[in-house]
Amino acid sequence: MATTAVSKKTHRRRAFSRGDRTTLGLFVGVPTFLHIALVWIPAICTILLSFTYWNGIQLSNIRWAGLANYHTIFTASPLFWDALRNNLYWLLWFTFLATPLGILLAYQIDRQIKGHKFYESIYYLPVVLSLAVIGIIWQFMLGPSGFVQGLLGYGIENAIPIFGNYKINTYVILSIASWRHIGYVMLLYLAGLKSVDPSLREASAIDGATEWQTFKRVIFPSMGPVNVIVIVITVIESLRAFDLIYIIYGTSTGWPILGMLVFQNIYGQSASMLGAAYAVILLLLSITPIVLYLRTVFRDENR
Amino acid sequence: MSNEVKGNGVSRRTVLKGAALGGLGVVGGGTLLSSCGSKKADGPVKFTVRGTGEAGIKIAQAVNDAYTKKTGIQVTQQAVESNPFQDGISQYLQGTPDDAFGWMAGWRTNHYADQQLFHDVSANIKNLGDQLPASFVGGATNPADGKQYIIPTTWYPWGLHYRKSTMQSLGLDPENIATWDDFMKLLDGTKKKGLVGYALGDKGGWEAMGTFDVVNARLNGYQYHIDLLNGKAKWTDEKTINTFKQIGMLIPYMNKNVLDISWEGMRDLLLQKKCGAMLMGSWFANDFKAQSQADYDDLWLVPFPEINPEFGRDSIDAPLDGIAVAANGANPEGGAALAEFWASEEGMNAAIAAGSTDLYCNTKMDTSSYDAFNKQKLAVVAEAKHIMFFLDRDTRNDFATTVGIGIQNFLKNPADLNKVVDSLQASWEALPAL
Repeated sequence: MATTAVSKKTHRRRAFSRGDRTTLGLFVGVPTFLHIALVWIPAICTILLSFTYWNGIQLSNIRWAGLANYHTIFTASPLFWDALRNNLYWLLWFTFLATPLGILLAYQIDRQIKGHKFYESIYYLPVVLSLAVIGIIWQFMLGPSGFVQGLLGYGIENAIPIFGNYKINTYVILSIASWRHIGYVMLLYLAGLKSVDPSLREASAIDGATEWQTFKRVIFPSMGPVNVIVIVITVIESLRAFDLIYIIYGTSTGWPILGMLVFQNIYGQSASMLGAAYAVILLLLSITPIVLYLRTVFRDENR
Repeated sequence: MSNEVKGNGVSRRTVLKGAALGGLGVVGGGTLLSSCGSKKADGPVKFTVRGTGEAGIKIAQAVNDAYTKKTGIQVTQQAVESNPFQDGISQYLQGTPDDAFGWMAGWRTNHYADQQLFHDVSANIKNLGDQLPASFVGGATNPADGKQYIIPTTWYPWGLHYRKSTMQSLGLDPENIATWDDFMKLLDGTKKKGLVGYALGDKGGWEAMGTFDVVNARLNGYQYHIDLLNGKAKWTDEKTINTFKQIGMLIPYMNKNVLDISWEGMRDLLLQKKCGAMLMGSWFANDFKAQSQADYDDLWLVPFPEINPEFGRDSIDAPLDGIAVAANGANPEGGAALAEFWASEEGMNAAIAAGSTDLYCNTKMDTSSYDAFNKQKLAVVAEAKHIMFFLDRDTRNDFATTVGIGIQNFLKNPADLNKVVDSLQASWEALPAL
């Protein structure tokens, strides 16, 4: 009896044969290798290069600069503060307007209100388009020789400035970006809502809770994993924004954001390691809230 | 689990193994394929046309075909959008560039030549001998080592362009502007009739540099302008502030959407007869000619008016364009030979036959066959004593973009003038030594 038990145990321990190990090794190893080579090593190089002066062409030209690049950014670049402010606006808009709208939409569609299939399709449509394509579409609509100007009967000489009008262009750009973000959040939340136990809803209905109370106390907390994803996506998309701005403004920083500052200083006709410094700042800005948030979430879960 | 699967012929494991190996194979095979290209000494040449305008592509095709007819060497050409091409030139030249491409003389060539990314074409310029006047060869020479890395082909002045018919119908005469006040009267007259007086589109960040260059040179002199661009004078000096204030006088006559349209918008405003005067380089005349001969004949230009009698109209922006050869191309020798052809008499004639209205550096250009517009261009430049290459070629590249943004900020809100010049000066001082 004891021998069979032991042999059964050893049998289970040898579940990974050599063939298995090779397969697993390749399956984990190749992506890990690519990840390290294409993500980690360039990231570490960027962080190191942000402390140097270099024009990006010959390795022999790298000179140590210490914190000079950061000093330039914080004291001699008004564009940096404009960009930071714009990214902050983006984050606030997404957090308090776009994401809640997406959640609301998902909730209503889940309740199968009249016409929910129609709403699902039209709100999901912009999500399948990349932000670059969305930029082209809206540039065509709102640009100086665009569709809207033609509709209003204006030629180029008196076209209403929209993207160049600094009083309204922030709202216009954030609305365009939200157009896509709302559908994205809606989809994530719909998937999560479908997995909520319907008996929970019935129970709260029987207990006499209103719709809002049901949502706040029963459904929202039970969507823990989806909430994490939605919050992380909101933060990342607002700090990472680039495609839309590049299509509409090119590299002329008409509406500066941090991503564009990185690009312009690395890729433009005058590469300098200011771009690397901007990238490091962007990295710190993105990682900090996410790490803090995930720590809180996982600490709660472990409790 | 493993016991269950062992018995099958095609097990889950073999499928996974196959997928992993297949993935590796694709990655490995791809890298092998990319190293298949080899460097050839003589053979086909690749050419990049800078700019996606139809007129430019047609002209380039004509010159390249003429080269193929003369030498039998195949030329493949591609056209790229100008701004992204310029932005990515550093990466482009370090990768797998075409052999020859259209480019600009000045800092943009010399800086990258110092990094060994341009092929030395001094020998080809020697071959052209007296076809290229010394002044243009001088403009194409790298001051660091005295060699040339670009073969100059065309140049154009920056002047006030307008339509003769529009000005006639308004009863205005731009050719007789003697002072700044006369110019203001002209702009007034245009604005009263509902047209944009002074068209400007600064979305690209560089278009307004033309206005800054010429106003600064008119007001404070050519030497002050060059000193400013090289850090010997300050952006916060009173003279520079006066330049900005002078530009501010033009703002009421500009279109309301300056920051929404780029140079193409400016050209379209003139093409559609919606504006009076427009300060621009004459390269866009090719587009007018492509539109119709009548439009091209209607086009005229005059130098920017005098502001300060001390300097008169003695300076002008007249940038030099040419063909450069990439050091890392597959066939630099072939590229250099093609560049030499472009700058030679035959290449130039092929371009003119295909509709080019540019001014050519080549001395063999038959100036008696110049049409009236080209003769006017020559006259406008001949009047000037000092030639500037344009702000973003006369100053450090890593500072040029900052200046462009500063001018944009000024146009956005002229009341921010002090903030703009303070931050420009701070940016200059924060630049690392070259």
